[in-house]
Amino acid sequence: MTYQYLKDPYTKQNRIDAIYRVEDRATIPLDPANTDYQVYLKWLEEGNTPEPADE
Amino acid sequence: MPLTQIKTSNLDSTNGLFFRNRIINGAMMIDQRNAGASVTPSSDAYTLDRWTTWTYAASKFSVQQNAGSVTPPTGFVNYLGITSTSAYSVPTGEGFAMMQKIEGYNMADLGWGAVGASSVTLSFWVRSSLTGTFGGALNNSAQTRSYPFSYAINSANTWEYKTVTIAGDTTGTWLTTNGAGILLKFGLGVGATLSGTAGTWAGANYASATGATSVVGTNGATFYITGVQLEKGTAATPFEYRPYGTELYLCQRYYTQLVGNYSPDFSVPNASYVNYWTHCWQFPQAMRSSPTVSQISGTTITMDQYGIGPATVSSNQVGSVNQYYGRITVVTSSPSSADPGSAISPTGTFWQASAEL
Repeated sequence: MTYQYLKDPYTKQNRIDAIYRVEDRATIPLDPANTDYQVYLKWLEEGNTPEPADE
Repeated sequence: MPLTQIKTSNLDSTNGLFFRNRIINGAMMIDQRNAGASVTPSSDAYTLDRWTTWTYAASKFSVQQNAGSVTPPTGFVNYLGITSTSAYSVPTGEGFAMMQKIEGYNMADLGWGAVGASSVTLSFWVRSSLTGTFGGALNNSAQTRSYPFSYAINSANTWEYKTVTIAGDTTGTWLTTNGAGILLKFGLGVGATLSGTAGTWAGANYASATGATSVVGTNGATFYITGVQLEKGTAATPFEYRPYGTELYLCQRYYTQLVGNYSPDFSVPNASYVNYWTHCWQFPQAMRSSPTVSQISGTTITMDQYGIGPATVSSNQVGSVNQYYGRITVVTSSPSSADPGSAISPTGTFWQASAEL
């Protein structure tokens, strides 16, 4: 699985409310009850880091 | 259903006439993702609404609403159909199942994990090309508590009605929140280390009963199921038919799609973003959690300019999302500029929101 940071299309700032899952173009909100976010947290615990946001 | 078919002895003060069934889409009516098309999951994946595969190896079976087009049991029009795509010998530590995760809020009244836990009764219609003893299990979310169960299919390619009564679990941790409360699995082939003795609770991760028939072990084998009901008490009552709209609404707490057909409007917010078109998507109801929002696989987003012709979409992004709303922004290269307030609209269904367990 590959994750990527997102930039807000309007402010051009890195978003702190969501992460992007590249394979299925999914935007995952940082909600502890979201099961995709739970999977992302495990992925981080394994030592992985997301790709930087597209410019 | 005539009310006389429900014995009052089967009801208590908390298992009433309505919403007895803790299973959502037990009649397999709702299929938002695939609309009746067959899918062969390569990993755990939701198929018909609320029903997910539990799988250790890719592509060992297909799932389709009304697969094989057999006549459903009387009173039903849909079923979930599994077809084995190979003759797979399941290794001891692997397993395959169809599963529904029941939200903790919807089983909290059972009082599981403490003295006084209520019994539940599972009932369903099943039909298979195979005969023999089949299995399944109930688990907690951590899969540290398991109740394997077994049932017999006596005649091939014949619908049979099954019931299983399960004593409530007085130990273990059972979530009563918006997390997964009970996991219900119907085994399709489960290895020995993931199988346990039927009819008793165990502090282990079991997905089926020891010795159960493997559906994925026979190429072309079928396993069809419908009318799944899990209710409080020690007796099975007739299946609770809920209106289609009610069942769809229950499903949409977990999954929904932005159905576009020359609506809704995506509009330019202001003069600083003349080719940015935004829509605030209001979900049909409060979703279980803030959902993951994505473009539906295989779709190409097309937008219409209300009589002017199609727009050319260069990118799209999902903005802030909570349980109630998600913001989607589409950027176009043509038109490259439009007045604030101008609108375009999608010509199909391109986005989905998932808050599944």
